[in-house]
Amino acid sequence: MNNTTTIPGIKKRFVPLKIFIVVLVFVGLGLFPFMSGNRFYISMINEMMIYGLLAMSLDVLLGYTGALSFMHNAYLGISAYVVGLFLIHISPASLWMACFAGIIFTSIVALPVGWVQVRTGGLAFALLTLAFGMMFHTIVWKWYDVTGGDDGLMGMPNPDITLFGWKLGSTGDPLAMYLFTLVIAAICFFLTRRIINSPFGAVLEAIRENEDRASFIGINVRRYKLLGWMLACLLAGISGALFILYKGYIGPSTMSAFAGAGVLMMVLLGGLGSLWGAFVGAAIFIYIQDYISTMTEHWEIFLGLVVIFLVLFLPTGFVGLGDHLKRFRKG
Amino acid sequence: MGGTIGIIVDISLNSLVLSGVFLIVAIGLNIIYGLSRIMNMGHGALYAVGAYTGYTLVATGFNYFVALVIAPIIVGGIGLLIERTIIAPMRKRSMVYTLILTYGLMFFLDGMIKYVWGNKPCFIDLPAFMQGTLSILGTQYPIFRLVTLFLIAGIMGGLMLFLNKTKVGLILRASSTIPEMVSCLGINMSYVHMGAFVLGCIMAAMAGIIAGPLTTIDPLMGSEMLISSFVVIVIGGLGSLRGAVLAALLIGFVQTLAEFFITDLAMVIVYVLMAVILAFMPRGILGEGKFE
Repeated sequence: MNNTTTIPGIKKRFVPLKIFIVVLVFVGLGLFPFMSGNRFYISMINEMMIYGLLAMSLDVLLGYTGALSFMHNAYLGISAYVVGLFLIHISPASLWMACFAGIIFTSIVALPVGWVQVRTGGLAFALLTLAFGMMFHTIVWKWYDVTGGDDGLMGMPNPDITLFGWKLGSTGDPLAMYLFTLVIAAICFFLTRRIINSPFGAVLEAIRENEDRASFIGINVRRYKLLGWMLACLLAGISGALFILYKGYIGPSTMSAFAGAGVLMMVLLGGLGSLWGAFVGAAIFIYIQDYISTMTEHWEIFLGLVVIFLVLFLPTGFVGLGDHLKRFRKG
Repeated sequence: MGGTIGIIVDISLNSLVLSGVFLIVAIGLNIIYGLSRIMNMGHGALYAVGAYTGYTLVATGFNYFVALVIAPIIVGGIGLLIERTIIAPMRKRSMVYTLILTYGLMFFLDGMIKYVWGNKPCFIDLPAFMQGTLSILGTQYPIFRLVTLFLIAGIMGGLMLFLNKTKVGLILRASSTIPEMVSCLGINMSYVHMGAFVLGCIMAAMAGIIAGPLTTIDPLMGSEMLISSFVVIVIGGLGSLRGAVLAALLIGFVQTLAEFFITDLAMVIVYVLMAVILAFMPRGILGEGKFE
């Protein structure tokens, strides 16, 4: 049987030029550390990719489901703490087990939170994410015996990155960690893209556009919102595992509301509703942050001003810039 | 010491004072939300600006009660400026954008506070007659906290009179239920939104200068109060004034108790309480909430 029904809202998937560009970027990033020996740029791009993954997970939530999470970094933090504690206390060498534990634990925490959150409207959802995020921040900050409180989690071992007996190198080695992050981020990106371009993604977009109509045509809105939320938290968990392996340290400031605003800004900078935009936004944000924080300590004022400016004048972000240019050329 | 009765008196008076401060901040947020459907994330920062302005006024030699009048006027002016420049153009955009915009506003204001007043905590000097203590049922209770209670009652009473007995209050109440009809009657809704925002800012600043002597004034006070007042208006139901009063009393009491018995994780109890109430009563404890 050949029943290829086209679902409206799904873009044509096979575009040779797009695939060519994506492969080119991937290969270019993979070759970059071998061409440039500059450690500073290697670790900066590594951080960009990890935060890009986190921003992408927020984009799944905000750009596709239309639900705003102010403190998505909380889930990065939870996963990172669990991975770190697993490596320190249980088994210093089993990298995959630790990552698995971190991601599973993040999902276990995110499930009841999401269950409560999807029962409320858009605004209360956003406020609840803030309240829960602050709660996790307080717990991590005050639970000194386990998390190390203000000092953060220290004394992380550096396990080897191995897969089926094939060894890439230790996580303490910037080059091995860079390649590991690149591969994981790329796999997550393509899997998420596949999920978003499936009918499931179309349902999420339908909910974003009009929740009432979506429920009229028989979609279980709460269930799909919860699934979208769980997908976003799962991706945040993966980025958290990468984060602690890359940094070897995590403190409560990574889970603060201020850091959460940074993630939100990455998504806004990149543009909502296109997964690759989040990576571009994260790259721009981290570059600017590195640049401005060396000049002034009042980085908050600039963060606030840039967010206000973006929302007022460029709500479509970097992704929408192309459309602006097209319109400008046509006159 | 007064023993058990003393502790009970202490806890109940403290929770009443805390509830009162929550209530004034939360009602300011509620008025803005109820009239223009804008959730102002910068409200906590405006509360902190109010406290800092009050501190500067008192430190330069003004009487505490004079500062209580001047600081809200200054913050109201700041609010007017904010409303006209960045909030008003966002009126027609989706709620998510206004949330993010005011979130940016919060960081801008917090950064400005740190830039102007620095990172160190400040204290408001009280007039001499408020510094003593008063004996209530065998416990020594600070007089200024009692004065604070009267001030809160006065502000709430004044607000209720304003909303229920004046013509402007009538317009505000009507606009929160049927804005289209009010607009048809020839009232410029743009001014109503502006008035609501400025009124909210004035309330936040009053709460800030009242809370100043109770706690230390530091740059973090704004975001802490923002979260607490969110909890209050979410539990009370968004846009519902009666619900906010009940929720403020509840949260103030729970937080004081939790801080008394388990100091560090007091806020966690409050968040869990909010999550439970929202899961089973999504429109708040009175069922009057207006969620978009």
